[in-house]
Amino acid sequence: MSKFIKSLFLFIPFTIVLYVLFLVAWGILIPSEFFIKSNLNYRIGTYGHMYSRIEEVKKTKNIDVLFLGSSHTYRGFDPRIFKAKGMTSFNLGSSAQTPLQTKVLLNRYLDHLNPKLIIYEVYPTTFSIDGVESSLDLIANDKNDINTVELAFKLNNIKAYNTLIFGLISDFLNLNSSFVEPKVRGKDTYISGGFVENREKITTEKKYAQKKWDFNENQFKAFNEIISMLKARNIKVALVYAPIAPALYHSYSNNQDFDIIMNKYGNYYNFNEIISLKDNQHFVDSDHLNQGGVDIFNDKLIEILNNRQALPTNTISYR
Amino acid sequence: MLFNSLNFAIFLPIVFILYWFFTSNNLKLQNILLLVSSYFFYACWNWMFLFLLIFSTLLDFYTGIKMSEAKDQNGKKFWFWLSISVNLGFLGVFKYYNFFATSFAEAVSNFGLQVSPWTLQVILPVGISFYTFHGLSYVIDIYKDRIKAERNLIDYSVFVSFFPLLVAGPIERATHLLPQIQKKRVFNYTQASDGLKQILWGLFKKIVIADHCAQYANLIFNNSADYSGSTLVLGALFFAFQIYGDFSGYSDIALGTARLFGIELLRNFAFPYFSRDIAEFWRRWHISLSAWFRDYLYIPLGGSKGGTWMKVRNTFIIFIVSGFWHGANWTFIIWGTLNAVYFLPLLLTNSNRNNLETVAQGKYFPTIRELLSMLITFSLTLLAWIFFRAASLQHALSYISEIFSSSLFTVPQLDDLYRALTTIMLVIGFVFVEWIGREQQYAIARLGLNWVRPLRWVIYSAIVFLIGMFMQTEETPFIYFQF
Repeated sequence: MSKFIKSLFLFIPFTIVLYVLFLVAWGILIPSEFFIKSNLNYRIGTYGHMYSRIEEVKKTKNIDVLFLGSSHTYRGFDPRIFKAKGMTSFNLGSSAQTPLQTKVLLNRYLDHLNPKLIIYEVYPTTFSIDGVESSLDLIANDKNDINTVELAFKLNNIKAYNTLIFGLISDFLNLNSSFVEPKVRGKDTYISGGFVENREKITTEKKYAQKKWDFNENQFKAFNEIISMLKARNIKVALVYAPIAPALYHSYSNNQDFDIIMNKYGNYYNFNEIISLKDNQHFVDSDHLNQGGVDIFNDKLIEILNNRQALPTNTISYR
Repeated sequence: MLFNSLNFAIFLPIVFILYWFFTSNNLKLQNILLLVSSYFFYACWNWMFLFLLIFSTLLDFYTGIKMSEAKDQNGKKFWFWLSISVNLGFLGVFKYYNFFATSFAEAVSNFGLQVSPWTLQVILPVGISFYTFHGLSYVIDIYKDRIKAERNLIDYSVFVSFFPLLVAGPIERATHLLPQIQKKRVFNYTQASDGLKQILWGLFKKIVIADHCAQYANLIFNNSADYSGSTLVLGALFFAFQIYGDFSGYSDIALGTARLFGIELLRNFAFPYFSRDIAEFWRRWHISLSAWFRDYLYIPLGGSKGGTWMKVRNTFIIFIVSGFWHGANWTFIIWGTLNAVYFLPLLLTNSNRNNLETVAQGKYFPTIRELLSMLITFSLTLLAWIFFRAASLQHALSYISEIFSSSLFTVPQLDDLYRALTTIMLVIGFVFVEWIGREQQYAIARLGLNWVRPLRWVIYSAIVFLIGMFMQTEETPFIYFQF
């Protein structure tokens, strides 16, 4: 028996070391297309310009408004429009950002961004998913620290663990030092301040089957912690449900349930009910606004927040 | 609790430590530990059905004693038939009642009569087919005076409920397992490390091969009307490796786990896809079930004695019953029947025992003839798997008719090429390793055994790595749990 136990105690660390070595070799040598399909999904500088956003946020300090949330955020809140109204802002949205990732980003950047107002985009999907894929985006495009380790343990998912191990080694060996992300990718253009501009329009209208949002308790737990933390720090928060294509919005039968939950937190604005946009004019796809839609949405948002004295600088004379 | 779950990864070491460190000096205590652990393992799925398992165990235990104490043949017969009818009654109610009720309603509707069958809203107790067959073999063996009735309830209960085999076999025999439970087990380093290796290989088969193939098999079978014949062939191929990886993977984990406790279970798989004819396939696929049907159905029916007609009849009976054992659906019955049809030419030409040895024994490559035989046998099983996997007979027939259309000669439609290619490459690598190790108990049993230890461990670590890289993020149950 002692021989068996001894062998086991030697084999376990041996395997752990080899596992990490295999993982690094796999991450470096295997073509990225294979990454998507295995449990190592370390993709730097992909869809959403997260790498550029993180590079920029590190150099940004003391802003008036911080935007947080999913791709609806980095495609929906244009810092140029806020700047034109006299406010400095930064857009820290990331693809499918759930409250679990928002918490990590706030822990990292809230202190030096020091915003007076946070516009937190709340999209029901981000309260419904486990948040694994969006965490991988964060692990690959930012330096990893105790927050991402904690995040991986919370997700307790093999893909998150593998990607984090590779990310930590990649950070340690500085494997991404030569990477430069292009400003323009396809129809997307990265705009300073974290925004991604797209001027395309939906070409074909889609029909959606009726469905319901199904919420994940873990995400609400993290969301509550974020709201409590921001309250404790005396930072104003506006919760915004950014517009999605009306056909998609109306395919959900329990939108009101989400509104009821969010209204409990106060300062909640569902822009799907506030402004009227058209599928084939104001959207790039069913989920995201194009620049025409962004202009209308941001103007209306500023107007409403200004009327409610919710903006950090209440000196704006709006039209 | 699934073998491929975190819960099992915690459960197994705890039981192992208690078994070898705290109870190893007391056989009775060790068996009580195995029984309690097995009941806990089963109750994790649904504690209410634990009572059914306990009832079934008690029934067979006491009818076994009553049979051996019976003063005359009639008394013995009474207890025997009581046990058989209650066991089959439970199986009938939980597994087959709804099938018979709806089939009857469909049959009478053909004569213009409308019957609304009364169906049961019950879930199938996991492992019922397996532990019922354990019990049946035990009472039949006592009835036939092959064994004596067990007098120790704990030992008998462990025989029925030993957790590695409880939910999906192998289907054990009292003559094989009970003596191992009754005698003191001594820890054996080689046996335990071999057990761990077999668990590792089983996990690889399940997590890497079966679960990956399942994604494509499910996609193609569930949307078969949208796909070309060539894609449907690919779907059947994916399913063939899914079910093999899934079930033989489960069996490897079960056998490996039992070895950790010093117990050897019956072998269930012996590289069936390298069979040269269908008879060989059935000597290598789900061996414990095939052997059960041979010993408790085929031979009592007369076996191969009594002329050609008798042999043909008995062969059809065991294949049809075997199909029906898998599930209450016509697809399984046709699957069984089709295998009997495949078997028929071998039976009629007395060539069903031609291929008893492993193919290309001691050689690296098979002969052209062997290769062709393997390909033909595999193709036949592939066709039968379509019935096994299809949702209904209609579905299976339309699936097959699309395969035999001109769309068979088109390039398969794969939406996600890289993903499919990754799976295909994994399967090719898997088949290669299985071929290399086909003369062993399981493929990696002797892989690198003559190498220095660190080099051998690199192989095992590489398997661990592949599991980590390709495992599903959600636990996936084993196919045979539903049977």
